[in-house]
Amino acid sequence: MRITSAGLRALIQDRGRTGHAREGIPPSGPADPVAFAAALELARCARDDAAIEIVGLPFAFRCDDRRVVAATGRDVRVRTRGRVPGWTSVLARPGEEVVVEGSPLTRFAYVAVSGGIALPRVLGSRATYLPAALGPMPRPLAPGDELPLGASIAGIESAGRRIAPPAYAGVARAVAGPHDARFPDATVQAFFATAFLVLPESDRMGVRLAGPTLAPAAGELLSCGVVAGAVQIPGGGSPIVLLADHQTTGGYPLIATVIQADLGIVAQAGLGEYVRFERVTPDDVGRSH
Amino acid sequence: MTVRPFGDRAFLIELEQRIDPSIIDAARAIADAWEQRGVGDAIPAYASVVLMFDPARTSWHDAAREATALAAAPPRAAAASAGRLIEIPTVYDGPDLAETAARSRLSPAELVALHSGQEYRAFFLGFMPGLAYSGTLDPRIDAPRLASPRPRVPAGSVGIANGQTVVYPFDSPGGWRLIGRTELALFDPTQDPAALIRAGDRLRFVPR
Repeated sequence: MRITSAGLRALIQDRGRTGHAREGIPPSGPADPVAFAAALELARCARDDAAIEIVGLPFAFRCDDRRVVAATGRDVRVRTRGRVPGWTSVLARPGEEVVVEGSPLTRFAYVAVSGGIALPRVLGSRATYLPAALGPMPRPLAPGDELPLGASIAGIESAGRRIAPPAYAGVARAVAGPHDARFPDATVQAFFATAFLVLPESDRMGVRLAGPTLAPAAGELLSCGVVAGAVQIPGGGSPIVLLADHQTTGGYPLIATVIQADLGIVAQAGLGEYVRFERVTPDDVGRSH
Repeated sequence: MTVRPFGDRAFLIELEQRIDPSIIDAARAIADAWEQRGVGDAIPAYASVVLMFDPARTSWHDAAREATALAAAPPRAAAASAGRLIEIPTVYDGPDLAETAARSRLSPAELVALHSGQEYRAFFLGFMPGLAYSGTLDPRIDAPRLASPRPRVPAGSVGIANGQTVVYPFDSPGGWRLIGRTELALFDPTQDPAALIRAGDRLRFVPR
């Protein structure tokens, strides 16, 4: 796979680096796990294969041999010899340029190629964590980069399959807590009743939100481990929803936690858009798995 | 001990909420026991443990039952003397050394003697890859974090605050009081584990 146009920042990611949280290593992996998994599925990759996360389309590449490719994310499409919508598998001929395009609504786009990106794993994963230069390609991709691909059988029957994209409508399901009991009841109710504005400081570590000032939690909190989706309420009262590159521990109280299936709803919300949280219980979610 | 849902694929067990080496050891023992079950990672901290699970490997109901059982009958913690001893060669020339010594009515040399004159326990790792929260600091040199954190603390900086001491493995923003620095590499991704210090290790700072 040869990169011809790298977007603003394209990173190799897989499902994430598990087994190393106790060394302080963030999970990394995709900011939008649902879109990432769909790209892998459409490109006939395995669940643990690596693909590319891109901010700032367009992104373009060629493959030496015939491959099934797919692009997902919010409002993405693919241009080869014709135009194909995102969330659809495409057969790319040898040497043919594949261009992934977006719109002003696009934040994180994913590109998967059949066979997967076959770089060696670092600490059990091909995911990139830029702050510690971790991963087999610990920098953003650049035009001219060549990436090895795994073996694949790319038949004509693999093209044209579709997965319906989620509604990126700004409503994310979240479970209250784990620190909800430390907040006044009215604060928890206000959190689930408010549409929060997405702030520009948002990145792969977290999405920063603005809304009404939320009364802080009572008492001191000792730092505890955190997971992606956790919603921190810092002293200033403006929530931060943690994403894939979050620190493994944090000292801010956690009013709620976005469920894994809806992390992408928050991650893909653009500047000036609003996000609201719909309260669910984890056993509701468990039944739908 | 309480068990709370933490999103749809984790639980948080909370122990008694104070900083105490025996509580930290108990949290780590729970994390070890969870990871032995092979359904997901665990993250111990001062007085809590996050228990994660992969819904492809276990259901929420089964994970909830196991987490509750673990909290009801926690495993015995390992002896405090079990960790390895790691020596950290340290040049004590940090930008906050003089001010931090002065607020404790000590000379910089006295602060250095107290900081380097004891062993510390690595409590847990967090904040960034390879950073070990370690203690307990001699109360005579204890001090709060800086009122305003620095935008950039260089890798290798040795800091103290709130009864603890740390070494920064990477350049980062930070609010610890910087009293020295080390050349020791605290994180090496070509090694597994990549972090030099593991929770439970004993640390000694050796003046250079």
